[in-house]
Amino acid sequence: MKRPGLWLAAVLFFVSFSLIGYRVLRLGYPLLPTSRAKVWGLTMEIFFEPTGRNGKEMEIRAGLPESRSGQTVIEQRDLSGTLQFNIMPEGLSQIGVWSGDPEEERVLSYRATVLLNPKRLRKPKPPGPESFPAIIADKSEQILARRLIERYASLKAPEKLKAIAATAKGIWRNPPPDENDLKQWTAIQKKYGAEKALVILLRLADFPVRKVQGFVLVESVVTQPDRWIAVWTGEKWEHIQPETGDLYSESVCLLPLMIGETPLVNISGGKLREVRWILSKQTLSQWRTHFERIERSTRFLDRWSLFAIPKEFQEIFRILLLVPIGVLMISVLRNIVGFPTFGIFMPVLMALAFRSTGLSYGLGIFAGVVLIGYLLRRGIDRLRLLLVPRLSFLITFVILAFTVFALIGSKFGVREFMAVGLLPFVILSMTIERFFILIEESGALQALRTAAGSAAVAAITYKIIQIDPLQLTFFVYPELLLAIMGLLLLLGNYSGYRLSEILRFKILGEKS
Amino acid sequence: MIFRQFLSLRKAGALGMNRRNRQYIMGYNRRSSFPLVDDKLLTKQLALKHGIPTPTLYHVVSHHGDIAGFERTLADRQEFVLKPARGGGGSGIILITDRRDGKYVTQSGKMISKDDIRYHISDILSGIYSLEGLEDKAVIEGLIHPDQVFGKVTYEGVPDVRIIVYRGIPAMAMVRLPTRQSDGKANLHRGAVGVGVDIGKGKTMDGVRRSGAITHHPDTGESLRDIEIPFWKKMLLIAAQSTDMTGLGYLGVDLVIDKNVGPLLLELNARPGLQIQVANRKGLVERLEMIDRAPKEIFFSPEKRVVWSIQNFAEPNS
Repeated sequence: MKRPGLWLAAVLFFVSFSLIGYRVLRLGYPLLPTSRAKVWGLTMEIFFEPTGRNGKEMEIRAGLPESRSGQTVIEQRDLSGTLQFNIMPEGLSQIGVWSGDPEEERVLSYRATVLLNPKRLRKPKPPGPESFPAIIADKSEQILARRLIERYASLKAPEKLKAIAATAKGIWRNPPPDENDLKQWTAIQKKYGAEKALVILLRLADFPVRKVQGFVLVESVVTQPDRWIAVWTGEKWEHIQPETGDLYSESVCLLPLMIGETPLVNISGGKLREVRWILSKQTLSQWRTHFERIERSTRFLDRWSLFAIPKEFQEIFRILLLVPIGVLMISVLRNIVGFPTFGIFMPVLMALAFRSTGLSYGLGIFAGVVLIGYLLRRGIDRLRLLLVPRLSFLITFVILAFTVFALIGSKFGVREFMAVGLLPFVILSMTIERFFILIEESGALQALRTAAGSAAVAAITYKIIQIDPLQLTFFVYPELLLAIMGLLLLLGNYSGYRLSEILRFKILGEKS
Repeated sequence: MIFRQFLSLRKAGALGMNRRNRQYIMGYNRRSSFPLVDDKLLTKQLALKHGIPTPTLYHVVSHHGDIAGFERTLADRQEFVLKPARGGGGSGIILITDRRDGKYVTQSGKMISKDDIRYHISDILSGIYSLEGLEDKAVIEGLIHPDQVFGKVTYEGVPDVRIIVYRGIPAMAMVRLPTRQSDGKANLHRGAVGVGVDIGKGKTMDGVRRSGAITHHPDTGESLRDIEIPFWKKMLLIAAQSTDMTGLGYLGVDLVIDKNVGPLLLELNARPGLQIQVANRKGLVERLEMIDRAPKEIFFSPEKRVVWSIQNFAEPNS
């Protein structure tokens, strides 16, 4: 083996790609990061007024979305300040309970991200005792209702359901019932309301029934939940619009929040002023939504996934995994293209910092700080400060400059000016010092060229780590780091020319 | 397009940065030997042991507390050179040629106060000019009075001769001439002129400045060609000996010619630049590969290596 580096690179590629292959082929990971999934955002805002006297606790209970067949709650967040927030199951629903003694607060808000995945339906659970509510009608009304639906007794469950549901609109299949019965039934419908009347019929026909409050998913801001009736046909749940008796087709997405009669939002020790739900469609990459499946899986590679670590650390790893892409870029740009840069990895840190400021503001701030820093450095040159205090002085100055930037930003509402926090100020200070020395020793031209090189490398690196699918791909397949190591080994073995050397050695090339 | 360009560089035998680093520096220069050349004081001691002449050492400042001491040592010296022991690329070097009114006069005629000098030494000690930013020492040594052979093609400063030595055999050489732009320094990246040297005859050829070809010095206007370098064989021998002295297989040797004492070893470089190829209008690869094919017996003596080099690398028609 003349070049062990190449063999090692081949081994790394092999391991990396076989792990990815295993994930894709055996665990069903998505290969293309661009396929989008259906994701809905639900924001609930509750405006209230506490009525309790001092020390008396207020409590708000509200139905929340929950993970169930065909839908997964990816993320939920309580954005209210001081109230205590708990999620607990109640009956078949998931209830959020906010409690506490709100002094200043008059509003609480909650946000959930729900993934609808109609392909991943589990076998529906048959109804339990809660789906057989007592029939509210009195004896004579029940006898009438029974008589009305008797004609459908021979139908199969799904057909029977449709026939009964249609009665909400006053449509009765042949043979039509007695005129008199119909009149009486219309009176009963008026008495109880369409919904309850329909439930009476369904219950008398021995259908398990649930009343559901929730939302038909349409992008909207609403103050009242939708209500529908869920009916078990023996194989699956059908959902009926109570006013019209229409069955929701499969293509309609329903988001149930509360099953049963309990009001969707109720309050004790206070008064509700308004409740608002904001429904919005979001596009999340398939990778992210994958989290749902991975979290439940018992497969080794699924459990050893970055999705398994707590959310707050996932964010850090997302950034951390960008660094190898960045250093790979640096290696390419320096060893194959031949960019001159200040320091080796300074541009990577700049690129990471640009993530929070954006490219143009980031470059602007970079240029501004280096320029002002350079002037300051010229100014203090006369003071003959020792090296370490001098650099520390520059660092302090750079941070001061950031602070001023942030204040200016907040004054004029430029968020990007305030987001400079991640800019690597230590590196920036060293850059100022090197910039100064380079100008003194090699002239402004060389210094500007190096500064432009650094900025270009930082910008290119930034553009690449900003590619969302790439980011997520690394997060889902961290074994790609092995492939990066392989690429770096290959780069380290490159002893060909750099692009910049075409210019540098032009005279040599021309001669031959 | 780009591939064609690469091919033409390859045909010309140009040595690129990547290949220099991988094949020659990593292949022939052991890391443990680097300090011998990175620290000019160690180089000086080593040269002394091997009988190779270097500029006279006056004084070394190694601690901030010793800065005052240097003035005592230099009490009556009118001229000296102040440089960082571990500096690279000519940075941090100050040439003092005179004293006037309690101030120092630099070679370019600038007046420098004693405070400025102390500040500069303190910078050197802090490692601001050192290659890895490590703490450094300030070296004070005798000023070189350059031989007038390059007088007409030099704008102030001290011209020097750079020889690339591969496995002990001088492979390529150039003369580096300071210009107004390079501020009296002989470093090409500062704008000094590089002039290729015919190793066989010790005569200059055409020059280069930045990456443009030139035939005359930009400041003095004199022709760069056909200047015969004195002590040429002795300089080649010093270069060849430097490999035995340091154990480094790929080396840049910098020499100056003092009009009173002749050639002096100024410094060694374990990562010599590639611009010498442009100055010589010739790629290094061919010569380095010829050296790899050279008969084994010549490698045992520096004299034989120099003879082989002169025989093989002489320019055919000049």
